[in-house]
Amino acid sequence: MKNQKDMKTKSVETALNSEEPKEQKPQQQEVESNSDSSYEVFSGDDSSEDVGSSEESDSAESGSSGDEDFVNEGDSDGLENSGREDDGSEISDAHEGVEESDSSEDEVAPRNTVGDVPLIWYKDEPHIGYDIKGKKLKKKEKEDALGSFLSRVDDSNNWRKIYDEYNDEEVELKKDEIRLIRRLLKGKAPHPDFDPYAPYVDWFKYEDAKHPLSNAPEPKRRFIPSKWESKKVVEYIRAIRKGWIKFDKPKEEPHFSLLWADDSGLTEKANHLAYIPAPKPKLPGHDESYNPSPEYIPTQEEISSYQLLNEEDRPKFIPRSFTTLRSITTYENAFKDCFERCLDLYLCPRVRKKRLNIDPDSLLPKLPSRKDLKPYPVTCYIEYRGHKDAVTSISTEASGQWIASGSTDGTVRIWEIETGRCLRNWEVGEAVHSVAWNPSSEHPILAVSLGPDVLLLNTGLGNEEQQTKVKELLHVETPTATHESGERTSIVSWLRDDKYEGIRLRHFKTVSSVEWHRKGDYFSTVMPAGESRAIHIHRLSEKFSQRLPFKLHGLPVSSTFHPTRSHFFIATKKTIRVYDLLGERKLIKKLDTGFREVSSMAVHPAGDNLIVGSKEGKMCWFDTDLSSAPYKVLRCHPKDITNVAFHRSYPLFASCSDDCTAYIFHGMVYSDLNQNPLIVPLEILRGHTSSNGRGVLDCKFHPRQPWLFTAGADSVIRLHCH
Amino acid sequence: MDIDGDTEASSRRVQVRFITKLEAPLKVPTTSIAVPSNLTRFGLSTIVNNLLEARNPDWEAEPFDFLIDGELVRMSLEQFLLAKGITAEKILEIEYIKAVAPRKEEDPSPHNDWVSAVDGSSPGYILTGCYDHLGRVWKASGVCTRILDGHSDAVTSVSTITPEGAKSVTVATGSKDRTVRLWKFDAEEPVNHPLKIRAFKILRGHKASVQSVAAHVSGKMVCSGSWDCTINLWQTNSLVMEGDLVSTKKRKVNDQVDESQLEGEALSTLVGHTQCVSSVVWPEPESIYSASWDHSIRRWDAETGKDLSDIFCGKVLNCLDVGGEGSALIAAGGSDPVLRIWDPRTSAPVFQFASHASWISACKWHEKSWFHLLSASYDGKLMLWDLRTAWPLSIIESHNGKVLCADWWKGDSVVSGGDDSNLCISSAIYV
Repeated sequence: MKNQKDMKTKSVETALNSEEPKEQKPQQQEVESNSDSSYEVFSGDDSSEDVGSSEESDSAESGSSGDEDFVNEGDSDGLENSGREDDGSEISDAHEGVEESDSSEDEVAPRNTVGDVPLIWYKDEPHIGYDIKGKKLKKKEKEDALGSFLSRVDDSNNWRKIYDEYNDEEVELKKDEIRLIRRLLKGKAPHPDFDPYAPYVDWFKYEDAKHPLSNAPEPKRRFIPSKWESKKVVEYIRAIRKGWIKFDKPKEEPHFSLLWADDSGLTEKANHLAYIPAPKPKLPGHDESYNPSPEYIPTQEEISSYQLLNEEDRPKFIPRSFTTLRSITTYENAFKDCFERCLDLYLCPRVRKKRLNIDPDSLLPKLPSRKDLKPYPVTCYIEYRGHKDAVTSISTEASGQWIASGSTDGTVRIWEIETGRCLRNWEVGEAVHSVAWNPSSEHPILAVSLGPDVLLLNTGLGNEEQQTKVKELLHVETPTATHESGERTSIVSWLRDDKYEGIRLRHFKTVSSVEWHRKGDYFSTVMPAGESRAIHIHRLSEKFSQRLPFKLHGLPVSSTFHPTRSHFFIATKKTIRVYDLLGERKLIKKLDTGFREVSSMAVHPAGDNLIVGSKEGKMCWFDTDLSSAPYKVLRCHPKDITNVAFHRSYPLFASCSDDCTAYIFHGMVYSDLNQNPLIVPLEILRGHTSSNGRGVLDCKFHPRQPWLFTAGADSVIRLHCH
Repeated sequence: MDIDGDTEASSRRVQVRFITKLEAPLKVPTTSIAVPSNLTRFGLSTIVNNLLEARNPDWEAEPFDFLIDGELVRMSLEQFLLAKGITAEKILEIEYIKAVAPRKEEDPSPHNDWVSAVDGSSPGYILTGCYDHLGRVWKASGVCTRILDGHSDAVTSVSTITPEGAKSVTVATGSKDRTVRLWKFDAEEPVNHPLKIRAFKILRGHKASVQSVAAHVSGKMVCSGSWDCTINLWQTNSLVMEGDLVSTKKRKVNDQVDESQLEGEALSTLVGHTQCVSSVVWPEPESIYSASWDHSIRRWDAETGKDLSDIFCGKVLNCLDVGGEGSALIAAGGSDPVLRIWDPRTSAPVFQFASHASWISACKWHEKSWFHLLSASYDGKLMLWDLRTAWPLSIIESHNGKVLCADWWKGDSVVSGGDDSNLCISSAIYV
């Protein structure tokens, strides 16, 4: 019964695929076995409607109970078909019989094609479905229940009739079909030909293997799906549904790559970190074309001009135009270029230079604007003219009314600052090295060094009382040497100078500079050629000279008194030494300038800072509290610095040089020890003209105003005002 | 037509009417006339002169200056109107005044040395101080009537102290020998040759050079500024006082001084400046103005000696004068080429004139005019200024060298001394 149904469904399919060739049979049979269970369900549904089908449902159940065998059989069918045909000859016979029944059913009237849908959908319809051409299949006229009963009673074969609801027809079971059902009901194999005790077929033949590992039959588990696998599959399905497993999209491989692109990106991929790709040769451009545009082709003049160029600057390739690609001549440098390229690839060391990307402006220190640092000298308004030769030295009077100057023309002059008038003029007859005004306003005395002498001159300024004092000071008994020890007199002798009404201190060597102590009683003189006795300190009130009791290291250049303490600065060619004159009388500090030759030195009015100018045009600022090395080195002048100066009250300092300029700097020293001095270059003062290779020889600040005096080799003194 | 249009465009015309406050022969009819707008001061002056000539055939051309809305015209009329935003639609009223410029340059009066001080406050004579230690009285250009002999150093400052109307003249001189000397002479006395006179009173007390001397309006007192940072007030009367006699005894160097000479001590000292007091003026009896190298201008109460107000300048000041509108504006110059004018009520300068090229050595307000002042500079130039324009009215270049001092004389002349040892007089300036 069930088989018949199977056949029916199968016949439907064969009807659909009627044109398919016979080789596809095994597939069809597989379909048959698979579709089996679905049909069972279907028939189960219908059982309530048909009385006679109760048996069938039973038989169907029994059929399902014997399902395993059946499946086995089906599988064996499939295997047989895929493998060998000759072995299963009887089975294939049986199949043929089945096929015959199919074909017999094909002759039956058109079949319904609605498919596996609940037939209740067509219950109220006049048709039961559609044939394959799409025409409606009309329901047969239903006989009334009495008529049908009567006809069934009349019909002796009624018991073997079944109503096929699907196709709306009565089917009469044949004898062999009934026999089949009976066998099924008995629990036997449906086909009488089926031999349940058939000899075992060894599916796996070990023809090649002499000693098979096992002769055990193939276990069943080989043929059934694994329970664990299915569990695993279910697990995966759940995971996929819940989104626990995500499938990565396959990475899109770029279709195109830049053939000539820089290889730098590859360095990341390279295994070793230091890998540097070789530089790519330059790409050919339009001018390398065999027929470049005329603007690329150099003219004859240009080509001839290339010849004038240096070998290395000459262009390597001169574009030329050819009518065809064929007519291009050999490139004469081909081997050379190739060789060079190889050399480059092979020998050129490729080093990764780590270049810091720093804005150079950010490295410059933040300096305040020049405008905020006013006042400072800017323009020259007054010139003091009168000297005949280079003015070597100038000195301002303490009140700021007068300025003294000494010149190589052998004169010392005093000028009125305000008007530029020359007040006094002493003809000293010898080139003046240095002038220094006594810093005390009560003693208007001028110290002048000329040759081996130092003259102390009475300027004649100041009121009567001051004048009498000065005259007393400058009065020396004629035989000065008598009461002094022999050694001292041999060094310095205090002589009366009647011509200038002053004192003449005669040294044994040329005196280069004179410096006063702030109180105006002591002054020091420097004789660079004096060796161990090069520096002397003189006391005006006692007319007494003494040698500096310290050993000198090198040629002394300049000496200065500390502005507040009893310290003494000595500049030699390379170093500055600070000595304590009172108390312990020893070296306090040694400042190393690092210059080849120091030319001048100036001490900040607070005493802790000093500037040193050198003959190589550099100036350095020492903060003695900070270190013995320069705090700042200012490289400003192209020529020798001749002098440096601090302003007494304004935070200014200046340097003057043989390049005829004077530089003005802002030099602020803070009382806070943690704050370094602030140095800002402010102004370059020009105006002097060079004479005999010398420029500006001296610069001094006005004691009270932010003005700078510069003395030039062009015999002019200039006053620069703010 | 086109050409006409072009010329019209190039010289647009402005309707103007000339008005003036000048006297009758200088008046022009007040009818409005159309003048080309590209005229400058010179063109306007020519028009006015033509108008005057039309009335008076033997009129001699005279330069005029023109004022529009109280401002001197110093560019072409068109530019001026544009710059000031004045419409050219209306009839423009242009006031004309006589141009302030010297028309006559008198012969320089030579000195033996640099002329450091000049005073022209008295119409009868000019007083000069010189670096040869002498003061001089000049009647006119080249006519020296008196020589003031007695200082032992350069005279830095001279000042007339005689009140108006007195018969004999009293003058004061300050010198670098730290003294102020008072001199008396009869101005009216006719003399043919320079007469040497001696000081009747020597005022000692300063510790450094006296830079500036100024007299009280009444003539009873003088004040002096000095390099010792102080201002001293002195009595000028010739009566012998106890203190004076004592001081004569004290002095050692007094032996050579004539017996008739008196000595005076400072009545009071105004202390406050920290540097040289370069200039003092005493324009009104109650207050003294002083300028100093410490960059400040101070006003002192003459009675109490107290410092009333400060003006801070930032530059060293060399000269100072008070005058102008309400005799209240302070003009000062110093160590830069800018002449600054302050209103004492404000701290910033209200005017700045910067045409000089070097330090300003002297500045003086005109006695009568509220607008005019002169300045002298080390660049050798004297400049006449009008507050109504930023350009100098005229530049006098009579000196070759620094001009050290300058003053108005008789209201229409400028006298100046310089380091070329000459006293120059530029006259016929109509203010």
